Amino acid sequence: MEMPILSLLLLLPLIGAVLTLLMGGERQKYAKIVAGVFSAITLVVALFVMFSNDFGSFDESCAWIETSFITINYSLHVDGLSILMVFLTALLTLLVVVFSSEEKDRPKYFHALVMAMEVGLMGVYLAADYFLFYVMWEITLIPMYFMISWYGGPRRHYAAIKFLIYTHVASLVMLIGIFAMGFMTMEMTGVMDFSFAAINTLMPQTSEMFQIAVFALLFFGFMVKMPSFPFHTWLPDAHTEAPTGGSVLLAGVMLKMGSYGIIRVCLECFPEGAEYWQWVIIAIGLISIVYGAYACIAQTDLKKMVAFSSISHMGMVMLGIGCLSDIGITFAIFQMFAHGLITAVLFMVCGMTGHIVGTREIPLLGGLAGKLPIYATFMMIGFMASLGLPGLVGFWGEFPLVYGFYEFAVSNDMLWLILFCLLSLMLTAGYYLWAMQRTLFGPETTKIDLSHVHDVSKPEFVALAVLVVLIALFGVWPDAALQFIDPYVDGLILGVF
Amino acid sequence: MDFTSVFGDFTAMAPLIILLVGALLLPAVQFIGKRPTATWAVALLFTAVSLIVNMMMLTDGTSYTTLDMYTYVAFTGIMVLLFQVVLFLAILVSNSSVETTRLHVGAYYALLVGATTGMMFVAGSNDLLTIFVGVELTSISSYAMVSMKRKDPRAAEAGVKYVIIGGLSTALTIYGISMVYGLTGTTSLSAMSTLVLDMNWMMAVALVCMIAGYGFKIAAVPFHMWAPDVYEGASSPVSLFLATGSKKMGLSVFIQVFLVTFIAGSVLGAEATEGLQYLFAIIAALTMTVGNIVAIAQTNIKRMLAYSSVAQAGYILIIMAVASEYAVSAGLFHMFTHVFMKGGAFLVVGALICAGIGEKISDYRGLAKRSPFMAAAMMLFLFSLAGIPPLAGFTSKFFLFSSAIGGVDGVTSQWVWLAFIAILNSAISLYYYARVVKAMYVEKGSSDEKIVVPKAFTVAIAICVLFVIVLGVYPQLIFDYCELAAAAIF
Repeated sequence: MEMPILSLLLLLPLIGAVLTLLMGGERQKYAKIVAGVFSAITLVVALFVMFSNDFGSFDESCAWIETSFITINYSLHVDGLSILMVFLTALLTLLVVVFSSEEKDRPKYFHALVMAMEVGLMGVYLAADYFLFYVMWEITLIPMYFMISWYGGPRRHYAAIKFLIYTHVASLVMLIGIFAMGFMTMEMTGVMDFSFAAINTLMPQTSEMFQIAVFALLFFGFMVKMPSFPFHTWLPDAHTEAPTGGSVLLAGVMLKMGSYGIIRVCLECFPEGAEYWQWVIIAIGLISIVYGAYACIAQTDLKKMVAFSSISHMGMVMLGIGCLSDIGITFAIFQMFAHGLITAVLFMVCGMTGHIVGTREIPLLGGLAGKLPIYATFMMIGFMASLGLPGLVGFWGEFPLVYGFYEFAVSNDMLWLILFCLLSLMLTAGYYLWAMQRTLFGPETTKIDLSHVHDVSKPEFVALAVLVVLIALFGVWPDAALQFIDPYVDGLILGVF
Repeated sequence: MDFTSVFGDFTAMAPLIILLVGALLLPAVQFIGKRPTATWAVALLFTAVSLIVNMMMLTDGTSYTTLDMYTYVAFTGIMVLLFQVVLFLAILVSNSSVETTRLHVGAYYALLVGATTGMMFVAGSNDLLTIFVGVELTSISSYAMVSMKRKDPRAAEAGVKYVIIGGLSTALTIYGISMVYGLTGTTSLSAMSTLVLDMNWMMAVALVCMIAGYGFKIAAVPFHMWAPDVYEGASSPVSLFLATGSKKMGLSVFIQVFLVTFIAGSVLGAEATEGLQYLFAIIAALTMTVGNIVAIAQTNIKRMLAYSSVAQAGYILIIMAVASEYAVSAGLFHMFTHVFMKGGAFLVVGALICAGIGEKISDYRGLAKRSPFMAAAMMLFLFSLAGIPPLAGFTSKFFLFSSAIGGVDGVTSQWVWLAFIAILNSAISLYYYARVVKAMYVEKGSSDEKIVVPKAFTVAIAICVLFVIVLGVYPQLIFDYCELAAAAIF
């Protein structure tokens, strides 16, 4: 029997989570080591899958629930769309464990939650059955809820429950869509089959009316997760209150579940639905990028600013998807990956501001560059990457997307729409540079006591350095990621559009 | 094993007869032995024997009939199994619970077992009158059980309230039955299903009377207001018994009488039954919405569980509107998972009362530190009730809610709105369940002292935890039988 490699990606973090939980009492200080070892092995397995040349050979499937009415399989699958997300999940989990290795408050629970989250996230990206997909989708909620309410800031209770309820409602709406797809397969084949293989090939043949309706249900579920205007309000709260590790996973990989779902489910299953709703997707994308960027300028909390910038950047992804063109979808996926790397740096830096300096309020900060040179360097790289400086990965996430949207706008004789993109890019550059100027440069602040601050610690440095290297690497060599995305998008475009 | 050699014509009622013997023997055992633990052991033994006999009959798959009145088919088997599981859990913890009466031990166990006999009698009856008798046997036993927590004035209030409401519901039911008899000349369900095709106003009044009467039993809105008081006033094992057992008896009646006889039995007169289906859809929607919304405001955990139990009945009532075979199997499965998750939650409450912790949600603060197992179990039960995967409550809701979207022919849009309401409700419910989880895990308690609970509670809770997880990832353990049961009655 072959080794079930993809199941290993779920099993390893799970074992890691359980073992970490068992590190009670005196052994509590080893919790981080256990979590680190297991997340490192997971990353190795993920890299192995990534660099093998044949994704199809990893598919796994076995019957799970078989009644006379419903067939549910335990199926896992990996392809060009999911592999980057799997890699990102494994990478960020390991880096979060490294970054948070100095966590003093009940470290075993913290690391167990991180590992539990990895199980759910991996599951979402690997699942090839809608039942399993939904189960994993919901499983990610619980560790995040506890992460925020145990390790969060002063308003953590409110933020945690808001996050839980908000995203749970959205997933339930999505569940109705999944039911509808299940019953539709039943109507077409006589068996209710929830596998991606069955549903994703059958759904494009359904009537336009059905496509439009079910697309809307699923899209709503995914869009709240991304999150897009007007359902974004849970995100700034969750981020402001979440601990750094939680924020990194939340912004880095959890938001991507939404855009992943839109591409994997909405686009693959309902091409006609997508065409019907195209302008809505575009509108949501445009509003999100401009609104997110605009809101950033008004923020005084550094972390909240980064949270709003996530809304803006995920809006970019939405816009790319909305183009429904090769270039749009390709770089939407690339942007998901790029944003995952960059936002991790940003949240780590902002989290550090909180515990190094004692506050994240921009008006209280100033002139930190002189006192904390390494910290300041990382922050600058992060901000520059995020505003799309050529040579860093963020550039490839934004520039081609804007070009793709330009093509779309021209072909629809609506060239003026491109102004929104330009406005957003300008605002983005503006708020990042302004924030940098106020926190890092100028005279050293006198509003807070900076005599005891210390620069980046070793584990933090390692985590940030790895990310920065990757940001630069993919920035000069985007093909390293595009080689996975291209074949997938070609298949998608050929298949349905 | 062939039970016909032992029970003869009464094989269909074999599990019931065993328990009935137990119910009659128990007061004598207590009278002679004067040792509550011995009486408890005998009660447990009878329950276990009856459970095993039923399991053998159910897996065997043969159906039996006694006197044309009582039929044992897969549906009866699965309902009886459910009642026995509830009884087993309730008895298991009764001896160690501080809330259980110490004065009338024999009577207490006899009533508990007797009430279950009534439920089991209902599940196999195919005549309105025998159903009525079974329901009354259960109800009258329950009135006494509720008021047995003598020192608590709330128990007396609950008992009185329960008797008065119960009396009203009985009167309505019997009035409805008498009208049905007057119209059709029979009370036999199988004979009636062909006679009720032409719905006239008198038949409608009769049906509404019966729906109201039995609606009280399952605490469907607007007949639900007794439930929180009764569950709060009764001892925890009895609350568990009423919320998970007695309520399922009402649902069983709904399925047997209304669903099978009036809706499925008269497919020819679709117009006539459609009104009935819509009526049930509205009751279902109201029941789940009111239950969930009122639950948010509760500060007493028993009352919160009571309202959530009202809401759960609303979910199950979806099957009355949808009226498909798949829906019924899903509904039966949800009844089963509900036993373990809601039963488990009541058990945790009961165990903590034994350890001196109050019934307020605020009393649960910091529980995770004081008793990690109890807190973890409670969290699992509550998340399962809210429908968080991969727990049993999610899987059963998945089946149940999906049945409103389609049937064997594919997507049907008629009841999609009901699925939407159910799903929104499910989201609301997460809010108040999460509040308890928050109290246990996030908030700090006034004391860090470890809690010791009686062993019997730990065992019963462990059983529930086991099933909440197992049925979540391997639903077929029960679902296969639920499908057989649904096939048997359609």
